[in-house]
Amino acid sequence: MNGTDNPSSGQTGDNRPADPSTEHLDEMTCLLYIERQLDRARAQEVSAHAQECGTCRTLLRAMERESRLLTRAMLEEEEALPARIAQFQERARKSMQWIWGLAFGLAATGVYALYTTYIEPLQTQLDKAGFGGSNLLSLLIFQGAFWEGWKPMITLLEVLAMLTVGGFGFAFFRRRVRRGSALALVLAGFCATAALAVPPAASASDFRRGDYVEVKQDEVVKGDVFLFGHRTRMNGTVEGDVYLFSEDANVTGHVKGDVIAFAQSLHVTGQVDGNIRAFTNNLTISGEVTRNVLTFDESVNVDSAAKISGSMTIFVKSLSLDGHLGRDLLIFSEHTGISGKVGGGVTAKGDSLDISSTAEIDGPVRFDGNKEPEVSSQAKLASPVDFHKVEHKSRYQEGHYYIWRVIWTAAFILLGMILLLLAPSFGTETVNAAERIGAPIGLGVLVFFGVPIAAIIACITVVGIPLGLLAFALWFLILNCAELVVGTVVGNWILGKATDTWQLIGRMALGFVLVRVVYTPLEQVHPLGILVGLGIWFWGMGAISLALYRRLQPSLAPGFPSGPVAPSPLPPNTTIGGVQPA
Amino acid sequence: MSAPGKTEPMEAIARARAGDADAWGELYRDFAPAIFRFCRRALPTREDAEDATMEIFMKLRDKLIQYDQTRSFSAWLYKVAANHCWDLLRRRKSRQDKETGDLENVPLEHPDPSQLEKLIEQRTSEEVRRALAKLGARARMALVMRYYSDMSYDEIADALGVRRAFVGVVLLRARHELRQALGETGALAAGGAL
Repeated sequence: MNGTDNPSSGQTGDNRPADPSTEHLDEMTCLLYIERQLDRARAQEVSAHAQECGTCRTLLRAMERESRLLTRAMLEEEEALPARIAQFQERARKSMQWIWGLAFGLAATGVYALYTTYIEPLQTQLDKAGFGGSNLLSLLIFQGAFWEGWKPMITLLEVLAMLTVGGFGFAFFRRRVRRGSALALVLAGFCATAALAVPPAASASDFRRGDYVEVKQDEVVKGDVFLFGHRTRMNGTVEGDVYLFSEDANVTGHVKGDVIAFAQSLHVTGQVDGNIRAFTNNLTISGEVTRNVLTFDESVNVDSAAKISGSMTIFVKSLSLDGHLGRDLLIFSEHTGISGKVGGGVTAKGDSLDISSTAEIDGPVRFDGNKEPEVSSQAKLASPVDFHKVEHKSRYQEGHYYIWRVIWTAAFILLGMILLLLAPSFGTETVNAAERIGAPIGLGVLVFFGVPIAAIIACITVVGIPLGLLAFALWFLILNCAELVVGTVVGNWILGKATDTWQLIGRMALGFVLVRVVYTPLEQVHPLGILVGLGIWFWGMGAISLALYRRLQPSLAPGFPSGPVAPSPLPPNTTIGGVQPA
Repeated sequence: MSAPGKTEPMEAIARARAGDADAWGELYRDFAPAIFRFCRRALPTREDAEDATMEIFMKLRDKLIQYDQTRSFSAWLYKVAANHCWDLLRRRKSRQDKETGDLENVPLEHPDPSQLEKLIEQRTSEEVRRALAKLGARARMALVMRYYSDMSYDEIADALGVRRAFVGVVLLRARHELRQALGETGALAAGGAL
C-alpha cells in the first residue's frame, strides 16, 4: 500500500492497512493521521499498526517532525516589518485628511453656490418687498424666538464657517482626549460660547397660564412675557417680546419688542415697536406696527386705522389691506384686496387681485395669478400692474408622468442589475463604502463639483479633450448610479446584509423603489427636492468614488521608504500534529 | 483557531466598525505584522507581500462589517488574507506555467522513513524558508495556510477552490516538493521523493 496517487482514497479512511506484518501505512494515511483528519476507528487502526510496525512508526515520527519544522520555520521573525507597512495606516489617514479639508471647502463653496443661486434671489425679492436689512432666513430662524440675541452676529455663512471650524476642532480634540472627555469638552465649549454670545436678558421672562390671562392696562413688564390661555389680553406695557399661545388673543397695549403669536384669532389694536410674527386663523391689525409683519393665516385684515411702518410678508387665503403699509408687500394668497396705502411695491401670487379706488401704491405692482387683476381706474398706482398669467403645469397630476417614472425606475433597476452582475465585487465594496454616511458624502461633494471642473479644464487644451470627455462620461455614469447605491444601502437596512449577488440585486431593487417613492413627492417641493436629490447624489457618488479610491490605493505605496521597525506581536497558531505514535 | 496568547480585540473591532480611525490603527498595529509574514511566506517577493498586506487591510475596512464576532478574528483575518493572496497568484500567468502538471503528473513515491527523518533533522528553519520560496504557488500556499495560520482543511479547500478530500493530496505533494527542494539545496539527495 505504498502508492498514494489516488486522491479519493486519502481522507476517507479507505486505505486500510492489511496485515501489519506485510503491509505498511501509506504516506497519505500517515499525514491524515498526524493531522487528526481520520475518523476515530481508522485512527485507532493506524495507532495499533504503528505500535507493531517500526518502519511506519518512524515515518509517522518523521512527518510529525516535518510539520513542526515547517511551523517553526514559518513563524520565525527573521526580518523586520517594513517601514512602509508600519507607516501605511498613518499615511493612509493623512492622505485622507487633505481630502476631508478639500471636501469641507467644497461643501462650503457648494452651499454658498446654492445660497447665491436660490436663496439670495428670494432674499432680494423680499428686500424689494420691504424687509430692508432683514431676510427670510434670519426672519424665520435667527430672529426667531430661540435665537434672540444672535441676530447681530450671525449670518448664514458665519454659521457655516462656525460649523466647519467646530468640526475641525472636534476632530482635533477627539484624537487627543478620550472620547468621553472630548464630548464633555465640546459640550462645555458650546455652553461657554452660548454664554458669551447670548447677551443677558434684561430681566427674567414672565410666564402666565390660565383660562383667561392678561397683562393689565397699567402693568409694565420689564422683560419678555409668555401668555398661555384660552383668552389672552395684552393691555399693559411690555418692554421685551410678547409670546401668545391662545385661541383668542388681543394686543391692545404697548409692546416694545416683537409679538409672536400662535392663535386662532389675533387682534392687534395697540402699538408694537418690533415685528409681528403670527400663525393664526384670523389676524386683524388695527394698531401700529413699527417694523415688519410675517404671518401664516387663513385671513388677514389690516384695518384703515392700522399703520405698519415696515413691510408685510403674508401666506394667507384672503388679505384685505385697508390701512397704511410703509414698505413692500409680498403676498401668497388666494385673494388679495388692496384699498389702503402701500409705500413700496407689491409682489403678489395667487388667484385674484383687487385694487380699489382708494388704493395708493408707490412702487411697482407685479401679479402672478390665474385671473386678470381688477384695478380701479381711480387707484393711484406708480405704474400699471405687471400681470403674468400662471400656466399650470400638470406634470405631477397627469398619469403619464407616473407611468414614465415607473418605466425609468425599471430601467434603472435593470442597469443596476447588469452592473452588479458584471462587477459584483466592486458593487459590494461600493455598498460597504456607502454604509458609513459621512465619508462618502464628503467625497461625493468633491467628486460632484471637482470632476466636471477638471474635465472642463482638460477640454480647454486640445490634447486633453479625450481625457476630459472620458472624465465627464465617467462622472455622468457615477451620477446615474448614485441613486442605485443609496437604494441598495436602504435595501440592506431593511432586509439585512446581502450575502450574494442576487440578494444584493434584490435589496437594490427594493431600496431603489423606496427611495423613488419617497423622493418623487419631495421633488414637487422645489427646494426640498433639490436638497434631497443632492444628498442622494453626494452619498452615492462618494461611495462609488471611495470604492474606486480604495481599489487604486495600493498604487500610492511604491516608492515609500523602507526601514527596520520593531515587529509587533501576533503569534499565529502554532499547534499542528496528532497523536504521537507509540 | 484563536491566536494563542492574544485575546480577541472585540472592543477595537466594534469601534472600527463604527468608523473609529484610532481603532483601525490599533487593529492594524496588532495584526499587520502577522499578515505581512503570512503574505511574505505565500507570495514570491517581499514587495508583493508589502503590497498585499496593505491591500488586505484596505479590503478589511469594507469587509469588517461581515465579520461574525462569535468566531475568532485572527482566523477570519487569515482567511481574508489567504483568499487575497491566492487570487493574486491565480491572476499571474507565470504561476499557471509553473503549476501546469505539477499536481497531476509528478508521481508520489513512498519515502524512506529513516532518510526522511535524517533530512528533517539536518535542515534548519532558514533552509526550509529558502526551499519554500522555490515551490509552486499552490504548494506554498497550502503549506502556509496549514502550518502558519493553522487553517482547517475546509478553509484550505475553500480558499484554493478544491474539494476537501483533495486537500490532503495537495499538502502531501507540497511536502514532497519541499523535500525535493531541501534535497537540492543540501548535500543529502532524496532517494525517490526524498
